[in-house]
Amino acid sequence: MPERTGHFESPEVEAHAARLGMWTFLASELLLFAGLFTLYSASRAHDPAGFHAGIVHSARIIGSTNTAILLTSSLTMALAVHELRESRRSACVRLVLATAGLGVIFLCLKGLEYALHLTHGIAPGGGRPSAYEGASTLFWSLYFVMTGIHAIHVLVGVGLLMWSAQRVRRGRIQPESSHRLHVVAMYWHLVDVIWIFLWPLFYLA
Amino acid sequence: MKGSSARPLVVTGGALLGLAAVSFALSYVGLGAASLPVALAIAASKALLVLAVFMELKDEPASAKWAVFTAILLISILVLFAVLDVATRTPPPLAVPPSGP
Repeated sequence: MPERTGHFESPEVEAHAARLGMWTFLASELLLFAGLFTLYSASRAHDPAGFHAGIVHSARIIGSTNTAILLTSSLTMALAVHELRESRRSACVRLVLATAGLGVIFLCLKGLEYALHLTHGIAPGGGRPSAYEGASTLFWSLYFVMTGIHAIHVLVGVGLLMWSAQRVRRGRIQPESSHRLHVVAMYWHLVDVIWIFLWPLFYLA
Repeated sequence: MKGSSARPLVVTGGALLGLAAVSFALSYVGLGAASLPVALAIAASKALLVLAVFMELKDEPASAKWAVFTAILLISILVLFAVLDVATRTPPPLAVPPSGP
């Protein structure tokens, strides 16, 4: 039987409270990124050429591959919630683990990307000036900070996904309490949404 | 929502990957000054798809929709005014002051 906290009068009320609470939490999470996006926008308005030069030297193929990986992981996570609601728990667990696996691949590629930049003398707030080739040092500092904080969110998300897969497998999350998986999925999708904006700002345009 | 189809989710996933492919291809075309607005417009479309379908915002009550809308509106105002300040103020607020003797 799924556990339910006593002060909720029905599973529907509990599910609504959980989802509204998660929306509020995600809105507050956005505050963190809002400050960084504002700093990026103001800095780019101040030095558009320096930021364009930075984008030219970014790892576009790795970043774009990571975009495809995160978008696919959002799909597998949405399908996992769907499968749970259809009472197909084993399919749900497989999809949640696939989502976590895609998150791990994302992190590995991100690590490779950082290693390539550091090898070429590009580092946050410093590095070898000739490696920047006209790019703003602030561009690279923001790149490392913003993608780094995002990567930490991915890492937390992978942990939540592994934990949720275990809970579904052990029957702690049932189709009737699918909102418990859905709120984790909402967090994962927000991580995807943030990357959707980081990708063009640091790799494309 | 037992008995519902997974088809809308798969279609949305396909649309997201398609939009990402368009964004990637346009980055090699070179749209000049329009490249950033176009890339951000595509990104906003993708984000709306994720919010509405994967995060199920379209099925949420008005209270949740207002919470999300307000967050996006306030962040947009924050970014807009910061950019306007930097773009219009003289001397530029982010200018590095000359080092003293």
